[in-house]
Amino acid sequence: MIQEHRRKQLLELMTERGWDSILLYGNAWRKDPFRSLVNINFSGDHALARLSRSGEISVTFSDPWDAENASARLEPEFSRAFAGGASAIAGLEFMEERFVAACGQLPVSATADVEELRRVKTAEEIGYIKQACDLADRGYQRFVEVAEPGMREFELVAEVEAFLKENGAEDNFMLIASGGTEVVGMKPPTDRKFQKGDSITTELTPQVNGYYAQICRTLVLGEPSPDQLKAFGIFSEAQCAAQDLIKPGITAAAAARAQNDVFRKNGYGDYTGAKYTRVRGHCLGLYPDETPHILEDVDYVLKQDMVVIAHPNTYLPLSGYMVFGDTLLITENGNTRLNKTEKKLFTK
Amino acid sequence: MKRGLITWDKAELPPSVFEARLTRARAALAKHALPALLVYSDVWRSNEGRHLTNYMPYWNRSLIVIPRDQPPVLLCGLSPRVYPWIKSVTIFEEIRPASKLVPTLLQLCTERGWTKLGVLHLQRLTHEIYAPLSESAVSLYGIQLELTDDAEIAVHRRAEQMAQEILTAELPKGAGLTDYQFSGLLERAFRRAGAEDLVLLFSTGDSAPRPARGTMLGGKYSVAVALEYRGHWARVTRGLPL
Repeated sequence: MIQEHRRKQLLELMTERGWDSILLYGNAWRKDPFRSLVNINFSGDHALARLSRSGEISVTFSDPWDAENASARLEPEFSRAFAGGASAIAGLEFMEERFVAACGQLPVSATADVEELRRVKTAEEIGYIKQACDLADRGYQRFVEVAEPGMREFELVAEVEAFLKENGAEDNFMLIASGGTEVVGMKPPTDRKFQKGDSITTELTPQVNGYYAQICRTLVLGEPSPDQLKAFGIFSEAQCAAQDLIKPGITAAAAARAQNDVFRKNGYGDYTGAKYTRVRGHCLGLYPDETPHILEDVDYVLKQDMVVIAHPNTYLPLSGYMVFGDTLLITENGNTRLNKTEKKLFTK
Repeated sequence: MKRGLITWDKAELPPSVFEARLTRARAALAKHALPALLVYSDVWRSNEGRHLTNYMPYWNRSLIVIPRDQPPVLLCGLSPRVYPWIKSVTIFEEIRPASKLVPTLLQLCTERGWTKLGVLHLQRLTHEIYAPLSESAVSLYGIQLELTDDAEIAVHRRAEQMAQEILTAELPKGAGLTDYQFSGLLERAFRRAGAEDLVLLFSTGDSAPRPARGTMLGGKYSVAVALEYRGHWARVTRGLPL
């Protein structure tokens, strides 16, 4: 459960910055700073790991079941876990102010430093992400198998969620939308019933041993219209442009530009901005939406062993909101697509 | 993130329920001569905001502002593309995009001439919001509110009933399965019944309940279900043999 490579990295960081101790905080939403050092899937509200310069780690939970299962300290009044303070905290921004106040002197934020350490994955971490990718592929297969006219959005999500959990997913980030050109984005499922001709979009993001992988695909119920096919051609070319480009040394901005240029070339450049889309991809790891985001104003230089998804997901008047993307592992000279699902517009 | 059915059933929670809740919040503001109430909400800490407005950020975080004499305003980290859906399941008529929450809040304070704000659970604001706000020209005052009423209790009862009925019916089906397999079965049953969110913990007696990890359940086990229905949580634990 202790991520030994991370302990080593953090001790080096502490020496470099002159920090005597570092805290890694996690809560029910943002478990990732904590799990980056102590990879326990806790179920209570709060968890804290304290790493001292000697390398010693102490762990505190707010929930008695978490504490018992991990043989760790229990602190129901969680402010007390911060007594004595620390030099730095990863996850400081997500902490309730009462916890920060309990530290005494305000620690510096180590969030950005720790996120940078997390971006380049170890072989073990890549192994978990590959497992999550396999689950995402199988989950999407299940999605296609069960979707049918008359089914409601939330019923489809229930089926996919059941499949992912049955097969070992800890959690899953999933958005969905269905309909035609009126659909401008994805959200949690509604009780809308699928109809013939619908485009059903989804992002599936299962988590295995803490690590997320993602797949984005679009399914048309029935024969796709010429406009849906034309739209998919643009999305496919854009995703391929990013996949062909991504390698160590390429910036996130270049990966975004490669995708957006395909839309511009086809006369749809207006649909690459914030009004119609969010990002052209992002990193994956212990959080499903890790930075850097793939955007034209992000100059972060991509590195070997980072894991990213390139997805030109956006609204187009041809098709409504459409999604298409795969998880990519950046290798020495390029990247490897970790998803095995066919790269096509799915139909049923 | 939340990926169950999020909706607003107006037969279950009529608009008048939210009007009464806002009236109580505004009375607290009047008592302290404050112009508006600030409520923090994120994907995991949404109960107070949900109680007052039926809004729950299925992802990301938001600030809810309840002026003393104007309609509530949502400062939202989510894309404007989902605002029509948010409006369909909440009482909000005004939603402002707020990828940076505090500057958007301070802009609203400037527009409305507010120099002070009441904050529900002031010391529970996240540091990224508390720190810049406390250094701004706007003074912050902690406000306590009674967040329980008959409607709230009735939906909690419905959540508890759903958790109990489904778990009791499904519990024997776990025998001989792994906790992964059984969690899939439970996810399907609960989410198809309308659960918004679900936390499942399992024990075979040799540990405290914990998330599934591939353990064979055999014929003796317990399951703790924390279920969220329409923003209301209930927790039920049952063991086999019953």
